[in-house]
Amino acid sequence: MSSLSEDPTSTTTITTTTSDNNPSTDNNTKRRKQPPPETPSHIRRRSFIIASFWAIVLFLGLPIWWKTTTIYRADLPLGEMMDWADGKACSPEFPIRVAIDAPDVQANEAESLVRETQQTLDAMKDFPGHRIRLEIPETPMDRAASLNPNSNTALVIRLKQGDAIATTLHPHLPILEVTYPSDSIVPGTSAASSLSTYLATELRSTFSEEQAIMSYLLATSSIPSERRPQDFSQQITESLSKRMTRSLKYSRTYHLTFSLFTSGPSPNSWEIEEAVRQYMDPVLNMLNSIHNFTIDTQVQLYATPGVQSQVLTKEDLSSFINAAEWPLSPSIGGAPTVNFVVYIGNQTIGVGSESETSQSWLIPQWGSVYLLSPPPTDYVPAELLKQPILTFTSHLLSLLGTPQSGSLPMRLSTLTRIRSADLLLRASSSLGSLARLSLALPSISIPPSVADGVAKSMHHLELACASSTSSNNGLEHARIAEEEAERAFFEKSMVGQLYFPDEHKIAVYLPLLGPVGVPLLMGLLNEIRAWKKRRAEKQKAA
Amino acid sequence: MNHGKMQTQATVGLYAAASALRLSLFILFPALPDLLTGRVEISTPVTSFKRFQEGLFLYNHNVSPYDGGVYHQAPLLLPLFSLLPDPAAYPIFTYLLYIVVDLLSAYALYQIAESGEAASSKLFTSPRKDKRWSGYVVAASFLFSPFTIATCLARPTSVFTTCAILHAIAKAIAGYPLTSMLALSFGAYLSMYPTLLLPPLVLLAYDRQRVDNTTPSLLQFASRCVATVSLCVSLLFSVSYLVTGSWEFIPSTYGIQLTLTDLTPNVGLWWYFFIEMFDSFRSFFLGVFWLHLSSYVGGLSIRIRSQPLVVLTLLLGIFAIFKPYPSISDASLFLAVLPLFRHVFPLMRYSFLTASTILYSTCLGPAFYHLWIYAGSGNANFFYAITLVWSLGLSLLVSDLTFAVLRDEWEVERPEMVGKEIRQI
Repeated sequence: MSSLSEDPTSTTTITTTTSDNNPSTDNNTKRRKQPPPETPSHIRRRSFIIASFWAIVLFLGLPIWWKTTTIYRADLPLGEMMDWADGKACSPEFPIRVAIDAPDVQANEAESLVRETQQTLDAMKDFPGHRIRLEIPETPMDRAASLNPNSNTALVIRLKQGDAIATTLHPHLPILEVTYPSDSIVPGTSAASSLSTYLATELRSTFSEEQAIMSYLLATSSIPSERRPQDFSQQITESLSKRMTRSLKYSRTYHLTFSLFTSGPSPNSWEIEEAVRQYMDPVLNMLNSIHNFTIDTQVQLYATPGVQSQVLTKEDLSSFINAAEWPLSPSIGGAPTVNFVVYIGNQTIGVGSESETSQSWLIPQWGSVYLLSPPPTDYVPAELLKQPILTFTSHLLSLLGTPQSGSLPMRLSTLTRIRSADLLLRASSSLGSLARLSLALPSISIPPSVADGVAKSMHHLELACASSTSSNNGLEHARIAEEEAERAFFEKSMVGQLYFPDEHKIAVYLPLLGPVGVPLLMGLLNEIRAWKKRRAEKQKAA
Repeated sequence: MNHGKMQTQATVGLYAAASALRLSLFILFPALPDLLTGRVEISTPVTSFKRFQEGLFLYNHNVSPYDGGVYHQAPLLLPLFSLLPDPAAYPIFTYLLYIVVDLLSAYALYQIAESGEAASSKLFTSPRKDKRWSGYVVAASFLFSPFTIATCLARPTSVFTTCAILHAIAKAIAGYPLTSMLALSFGAYLSMYPTLLLPPLVLLAYDRQRVDNTTPSLLQFASRCVATVSLCVSLLFSVSYLVTGSWEFIPSTYGIQLTLTDLTPNVGLWWYFFIEMFDSFRSFFLGVFWLHLSSYVGGLSIRIRSQPLVVLTLLLGIFAIFKPYPSISDASLFLAVLPLFRHVFPLMRYSFLTASTILYSTCLGPAFYHLWIYAGSGNANFFYAITLVWSLGLSLLVSDLTFAVLRDEWEVERPEMVGKEIRQI
C-alpha cells in the first residue's frame, strides 16, 4: 500500500508529519519529518498480527511440511538381499535322484554297486549344484512309487541280466534299462568296477543336457563368476542361448490360441476340438504339474498373409504373419498367449534346394505356423489336422523350454528343475537390483508394499531352496518368489521418483514459498529489532 | 411513518422487479439456464446444478448419491429438492426456489445496509458515515448485478451458502448471536469455507449484542458461539448420516475440497497449479494453499478489530480469489457487500483500474475458454491467464478496500492529514 506522490503541484512528498510543521525548515531543507511515536496499543497490536501469522506457520505449516514431505523408507534386509543375489544365501542345489531297480540282485551286491558308481560320479568334476544321487528303493511300494511321474525320482535304472553290457532308454518312461553279464555284479571284481564306471558314464551323458542348461543359467545370472562353473564350451553356450531366447517367459498358465486362416471362402469349419483332444491333450496332461493351459480357437476367412509369393524363403517367414489385419491378440487375461496358426493356401516353404519343401516354422516366444494345402471340402476333419497338431505339440514343448533328449517324462522333470533354478536365480537377481537401487538413491521412497514384497519373496526363496529336492513345491515357491520380487522392484510410486534429485526441490519450493516467506521473515526480523530497541531505550531511561 | 411506508413499497417493488426479470429470463430463454449451468465460471464441481441433478437422481432411486464420484454437495440438499417436482419436467419450481433464495439474500443485505454498521460500529465511527447508500440501493445493486443474475440462472447450490452467510451477518448485527451462529453453521455445512468467517462474526455479534446487565466477557461469548456452531454442525452431520445412511458424504464433500481431486477448470488459481504439481509434493502444497487461505483470518481480525464487518467483507473477497473451487457466485457475494462501504469509496485509488480489469476478464474469460475447449486454437494457458487477470482485479479491489478502510481509520487519529497524500513507511 505504498503511494508515491504523482501530483506535480504538491512539491513535497509529505510523509506522516507532525502537526507543528515549521515553515522555515520546510522551505530550506525539504527534509522528511519524523512520524509521531507509535502508541503502545498499536505496537502490541502489530506484535499480535505477526504472531498470528507465525503461529499458523509454526503450529500448522511445519507439521504439515514434515508430514507430507518425509520420504517413507521401509526397512529392507539389504544384506540378505545381496546375499541372495550373490548366491551366498543358498547355493541352488538340484540333486537328481536316480533309483536303482534290481530285483534279481542281492541287496549287498546292489549296495556295493551303488556305492562304487556314486564314487565314480563324485570323482567326475561336475559343479556342485548338479549332483546325481543314487539310491535303492527299500520296499516294492517305493519302487512302484518311483515310477510315478510326480515323484522326486528322476530316473530308474532297471538292471537285467544279459549277455553283454548294454543300455537302452525307455522311449516313454523315465527308465534306463541296463543289461549286464551275470559275473559283473559280484563285488570286488574288475568286471564289477567296469560296470559301475559304465553306469556312471551313462548317467552323466543322460543328464548332460540338463547340466549344460543349468551351467548356462548360472553363467548368465548375477552370481559372481568365482562361484559358478567355468567349464563349458562356447559352442554349447551359443546353441543354448538360442534355445533359451526362443522359449517363453515362465508362467503358471498359458493361453493357447488355435487359428484357422484361409485365403478364400473355404474351408470355413474345422474339427479342432477333436484334434486337440486326440493329439495334444495327452501332452498337455503331462505338463499339468508345471503349467496350466487355456485354449480358444478361431476361424478367419479371406485372410491375406503378409507375403504373397508361392514359395516362401527364409526371410519371408518373419513377415508372413499379417499382424495388422489378423486378429491375434497379444494376451488374453493375465496369461501369455501362445499362437498356433494353420494357414490354408498353396504356399510352401523353400528350404535351400528346389525339390524339398517344408510346411511349418516356429516363431520364437510367439507360437507356430503350419501351412496346410486346401482340403477338398469346406470342412477340415480331425485326421487332416493330425500332422499340424503334432507339429504344434512339439513346437509348444520347445517354446516352453523343454530339453530335447530323453523320454518325455524325463524331459519334463528336467524342465521342472530348470524352471525352478531359472526363477530362483531371477528372483535373487531382482532382489539384488532392488537392494543396490535403494543404496544408490537415498532419497527414493520405499513404500511398505515393497518391504512386504521383499519379505514374501525371500520367504518363498528359502522354501524353494529348502525344497529344491522335491521339485514341484520348489517350482511353485520359486514362482511366487519371482513374482513378488518383480512386483517389489517395479513398484509404481518408486519409479516416478527415480530421477528426482534434491536440487529440484529448490525449484519446487522457491517460486511460491519464497515470495510468501520473505515478508513473513522480514516482518519478524523488524519486530524483533524494534523490540530490542525499545528495551534498550527502556533500560537507558531506567 | 409515511417515509417508512414508502420505503417498504419501494423495496417490495424492487423485489418484484428482480423476480420478474429473473422469471422472464427463465421463461423467454428456456435454453439459457442449461447453457449457464454448463459454464465453468459459474458451476464448479462442488456447486454445479448438473452434478446436483445426478446426485438427486441417484438419491431418488435409493442409490447412494456419492456413488459414481460426480456429486460432491451436501446431502441435506437432496431431501429438500426431492420435495420439489422433478426439475427436468417442471423446472419452474426450481426457478422459483432460486429466485426466493436470491430475494432472501437481498433482504438480509438490505437489513445489513440499513443498520449502518459498515460506517459506524461500536468501537469506531467513520467521519464519512453520512455518505452512504440506503439498503434499497445496496439490495438493488445485488439483485441486478449481472453476476448475481447469471448465478441465479445457472442454479449452483452456492446460492444457499451466500444466503446463509448474509443472514448470519444480518442476525449478528441485529443482536441475535445464536441465530447468527445457526445461519453460519448452515453455510459451513454446505460449503465448509464459511467456518473461517467464525472469528470476525463472533466479534461482530459480540459488539452488537443487546446491552443488558449481564454482559459476558469476549472469551465466554466466543466459546458459547463456538459451542453453538459445533453443536449445530454435528446435528446437521447426524441428520445427513440418517439421510444417506453412511458417513461417505464427508470424504465426498469436504474431502474433495481439501484434496482437490477434481481438477475441472474454474476461475480460481488452484486447478492449474495442481495439474502441474509433482505428485510427491501435492499434499504439501495442498496444505500450503489451505493455510494461506486461513492465515488472513487472524491477522485481519486483530488489525481491524474495531470494524468486524470490514473483516468479513475482506475475507469474502479473499475467499473469492483463493478458494479451492471459486466461481463468479463468490465474487458476486463480495461485490454485493462492497457497496456497504460507499463512505470509503473516495479513498480508493485504483477504482478505474480495478473496474476495467474485472470487466476485461469478464469479457475475455468465456472467449478464452471457448478458444481452448471448443475451437481448439488455444490451450489451457489461455484460460488460466485470464483467470489470473480476474484474480488480479479482485485482489486489487480487496487491497484497495483495505487501504481505504485503514486510511479512514487513520484520519480519525490524525485529523490534520485529511486529504493529503501519504506514503507508507
